[in-house]
Amino acid sequence: MMEMLNYPFMQRAFVAGLMIAVLASLSGSFIVLRRYSLLSETLAHVSLVGVSVGLLFGMSPLWMAVLASLVASWMIEYLRSVHGMYSDSVLAIFLSGSLALAIVIVSLAGSFNASLFSYLFGSILSVSVEDLWVMGIFGSLAMGLLLVFFKELYFIAFDEDVARAGGIRVTMLNFMLVSVIAIIIALSIRVVGTLLIGALMVIPAVAAIRFGMGFYPTTLLAIGLALISVVIGLSASYFFSLPSGAAIVLCLLVIFIVALVVNRR
Amino acid sequence: MKFSPSLFDVNSLNFERQGNLVLKGATFRILPGEYCAIIGPNGGGKTTLIRLLLGLEKPTSGEIKLFGTPQNRFRDWNRIGYVPQRSALVDSTFPATVREVVGMGRYARRGILGFESAEDKAAIAEAMELMGVSDLSDRLIGNLSGGQRQRVMIARALASKPDVLIVDEPNTGVDVESQHRFYELLRTLNRTRKMSILFITHDIGVIAEDISRVLFVNQTLLVSQSPAEMIRCDEMSRLYGVPAHVVCHNH
Repeated sequence: MMEMLNYPFMQRAFVAGLMIAVLASLSGSFIVLRRYSLLSETLAHVSLVGVSVGLLFGMSPLWMAVLASLVASWMIEYLRSVHGMYSDSVLAIFLSGSLALAIVIVSLAGSFNASLFSYLFGSILSVSVEDLWVMGIFGSLAMGLLLVFFKELYFIAFDEDVARAGGIRVTMLNFMLVSVIAIIIALSIRVVGTLLIGALMVIPAVAAIRFGMGFYPTTLLAIGLALISVVIGLSASYFFSLPSGAAIVLCLLVIFIVALVVNRR
Repeated sequence: MKFSPSLFDVNSLNFERQGNLVLKGATFRILPGEYCAIIGPNGGGKTTLIRLLLGLEKPTSGEIKLFGTPQNRFRDWNRIGYVPQRSALVDSTFPATVREVVGMGRYARRGILGFESAEDKAAIAEAMELMGVSDLSDRLIGNLSGGQRQRVMIARALASKPDVLIVDEPNTGVDVESQHRFYELLRTLNRTRKMSILFITHDIGVIAEDISRVLFVNQTLLVSQSPAEMIRCDEMSRLYGVPAHVVCHNH
């Protein structure tokens, strides 16, 4: 079992996977409570546009994914908070629009389908040392922001109006949260893939909520469930030659079903 | 003699929403220690007025001063406790204990990276004790009754130790006994703790003896320094535009 950790590519995959598990589940707790779960799915699709552009023009797909995801997150939040558009409508527009754009770019290029496949579903072989550095730096930044503003984000998730009336800078923090989520999603696509990162953000939080605890223990449990899923999923990916993202998400689904059965209400 | 500015000083306040006039030329002052009722028909602009005071809506024109400071420069938001309309309607699955919800009332005072101090803990405990929710501390907010949730939300507002408490029709979906306890609490806060109260209600009869001022809001604003006169049946009938019968009662 432990022999897989002798391989450098598995060491990198585990380091990346565990980082992403913590970041995705922590940030995911906030978007689930705000009924904003589709944001992760939408930004993941948007990051695919960045990946496609990167592959087409020979630029770093990871950086292009970060850029595309960030810009889209700001536009989504702007339309939602300033123009008062329904969140789900805005997300639906960006989700389908970005997917259409990515497909057009892929069709125009036509030659990088194999590379694109690894970005869609994740591949443990594709995590480089450089990727780990990028994840480490930006992941630490994202983690720092989430922890510094943890209690304010929690208050906003519970009652945005009262938080604002209490002097909390809700608009600024909302933009910060979507930016952090955009970065986390873009960083995650190497390991989990654009089509599956949404699950790593949403399912741990939804499963943890089923246990009926306060917010702090719920968040810790969500992080724990995400870590377990990544460890089991990556191991399964190694032993059975499965796409890493799909294996991780299937583990999450099993955990969710167990949480559902154990906590029937 | 120490100068004590108005809590709220509102001048010629206008507010339009999508081209429709919601509030026109509102001008009034609320002084420290006042117990002020805001009444008026549904859709008349009562909640909008509160949201304007709290900075949740931007006025089309006019001026609002909070504690003598123009609203855009006001930072001491923890001096104002706010219990919004339908605050007791909480998502039943939201992972928040009573203690966590009441603790939110201290967040603005704690500041960024501020950990919960002994003072914060004491204020939270006192607010929970005052509202009789100490024994519910570890219960999930979603598992409580409407009346219990209402008390938790008021405890949250009180945890910041505000100078003024703003409550917006908090009794929706709450049983009569809880309503009675709530009115008693407001009276105690106003009389013994000298806390100012700004209270939106339709049931003015029950607090008629307590209030020092009435704001009648129906697009325009009518301020009465003499509540006893304003809540006379003929006056209420004229203001609401329908026959009204005011009954002063204590449930």
